Amino acid sequence: MAGGKQNKLSREEELLLQDFSRNVSTKSSALFYGNAFIVSAIPMWLFWRIHQMDLYQSAVFFVIGTIISTYLVAFAYKNVKFILKHKIALKREDAVAREMMKKLADDKRMTKKEKDERVLWKKNEVADYEATTFSIFYNNALYLVLLIVASFFILKNFNPVFNYSLSVGSAAGLLALFSTSSKA
Amino acid sequence: MTSIVQALLAVSLVLLPVSIYGDTCLAPQVKSQSYSTPEAIVSFDTVLIVEFSLTCKNNLKNVNLYADVAGRTIPATRIGEPNKYQISITDEPKKLPSGAYEIRFFDEEGFALLRKAQRSGESTSSLKPLFTITLNHPGIWSGPLIQSEFVAAMTAIIVWWMAYTQRGKLLA
Amino acid sequence: MKLWWAALILSFGCFLPTFGEEESEARLLVSKNILNQYLVEGKDLTVEYKVFNVGGKVAFDVVLNDNSFPQSSFTPVSGSLKATWERITPNSNVTHAVILKPLKSGYFNFTSADVSYLTSEESKERTFGYSSFPGEGGIVPQREFDRRFSPHVLDWLVFAFMTLPSLGIPYLLWYSSKSKYDQPKPKKN
Repeated sequence: MAGGKQNKLSREEELLLQDFSRNVSTKSSALFYGNAFIVSAIPMWLFWRIHQMDLYQSAVFFVIGTIISTYLVAFAYKNVKFILKHKIALKREDAVAREMMKKLADDKRMTKKEKDERVLWKKNEVADYEATTFSIFYNNALYLVLLIVASFFILKNFNPVFNYSLSVGSAAGLLALFSTSSKA
Repeated sequence: MTSIVQALLAVSLVLLPVSIYGDTCLAPQVKSQSYSTPEAIVSFDTVLIVEFSLTCKNNLKNVNLYADVAGRTIPATRIGEPNKYQISITDEPKKLPSGAYEIRFFDEEGFALLRKAQRSGESTSSLKPLFTITLNHPGIWSGPLIQSEFVAAMTAIIVWWMAYTQRGKLLA
Repeated sequence: MKLWWAALILSFGCFLPTFGEEESEARLLVSKNILNQYLVEGKDLTVEYKVFNVGGKVAFDVVLNDNSFPQSSFTPVSGSLKATWERITPNSNVTHAVILKPLKSGYFNFTSADVSYLTSEESKERTFGYSSFPGEGGIVPQREFDRRFSPHVLDWLVFAFMTLPSLGIPYLLWYSSKSKYDQPKPKKN
C-alpha cells in the first residue's frame, strides 16, 4: 500500500499520538460504550426469538450479560484502536501532509512551525477517526461470529440460560483477549 | 381344454352366490376427505388416509368395498357409523412418492373380476370401478436444505474475514 | 423388514389368547406402532395398526377398537379409532392408520388397542385380544421443538437487519476516510 520510505514517527509525533490514544476522550469513550452496548444487546433478540428464552424470566441474565459484554467489547475497541492508530498514522502521513500543505499554502501569515503543528494535529485526527471506526467494525464482526458459533453450534444443546451466559461471556471474553494478544 | 372349462365353471360357481347376493350400488355418491404425511418428523413411513362416506341411490347399506391403488388391492375398512369407510396405505416414503393417487373402488363383484384379471396377468385398467377418489399427496417436507444458523454463521464469518484481511493490510 | 415383522409377531404373540394349536381356526395378531420420528405437542401423531391373520381360516367381523387416547390429551385429525373388517383371509394382513394431535406435552404411556373377532362364520362367541403396546413416549413441548427445529427465517432476517448498522456504519465511515487518503502516490510519475 504505502510504497514510500519506511517512515519513523518523530519523538514529538509519537508523544502526541500516544497522548491522544491513552486518554480516550469522553466523546470517544461514549462512542465506544454506546456501540458496545448495541452489539451486546443484539444477542438478546436471538435468545428470545430463536432459543425461546422468556424475556421477563431471564431479564436478570440479560441485564448482567449485556453489562459485562458491553464492558469487555468496549475494552476490545480501545485496544484494537490503540494498535491500529499508530499504523494508520504512518500509512496516512504523506497523504494528510500533502492535503494540509495544499490547503495552508496560501496562508502566508502562518509560520512553518504552526503549519507543522496543524499537519500533525490533522494526522492525529485522521488516524484516530480511522482507527476508531475500523476497530468498531472489526470487533463487531468478530463478536457476532464468536456469538453465533458458540450459541448455535458449540452450545446448541445446552439449556438456553446456560447457553446465553456462556456464549455472550465467551464471545466478549475472547474478543477482549484477542484485542490484547495482538498488541505485539 | 376341458380343464379350462372346468376351471371357468368352478370360478363362476364361486362367483354365482356373490353376484346374486351383491346387489350393486346405484349412482354412488361419495364424500371424502384425505390425509397424507406432511413432514418427515411426523412419521418414518408415508401414510395416506382416505375417509369417505358412501350413499347409494338404492339405499344399499354397508357394502363391502375394495380399493385398488398404486398396484395394491386393499379392503376398505368400515369405521364407526354405517356407510363410512377408511383406506390406509403406509409404506416407505420412496415407494409412495408425491403426486395424485387415483384410488379405484370395487364392490364384491368388481373385486372378483379384478382378482381374476390380476391372476391371469391382464390389465386391470379396463375394469370399470364403482367410483374413484383421487388423493393428492403433496410430498413430505423433510426440513430446510440448509439450516438458517449455518447461513448466518457463514455470512458472519465472511464479513469477519473481510475485516480481518483489511486489518492485516492496516497493520502491515 | 420381513425379519423385523417376524420378530414383532413372535414378541407379542403372547398377548393374544391361544386357542389350541390347531391350524383350523382364524387367529389374529395385531401390532400397534407409533411411526413418529418425534412426538411433538400440536404436531401429527401417526399410529399404525397391522392385523395379521396367522390362523388357517378366515377371521370374520373383526373389530379393532382403541380407547387408549383420552380426549383431553389427543384430538383426532384423520382416521378412526374404531375399525371393522368383514373378513380377513388367512396369511394376509390389513393396515389401518390413525392421525391424532397431542394436546399436551410430557410422558404418555401408549397402551394397547382391543381386537375382537369370530374365528369362523358360525362361531357365536367372539374372541378377544389386544394389540402390542408401543410403551411410554415423551411428547416434546411445541416451544422446545421450535427452538431446535424451526428455521426461524424471519427472526434471522430481523437479526441481520439489526446488526447491519453496527457493522455498516463504522465500515462506511472508515472506508470513506481510507479512500480519501489511501491513494496511490503521484510521486511515481
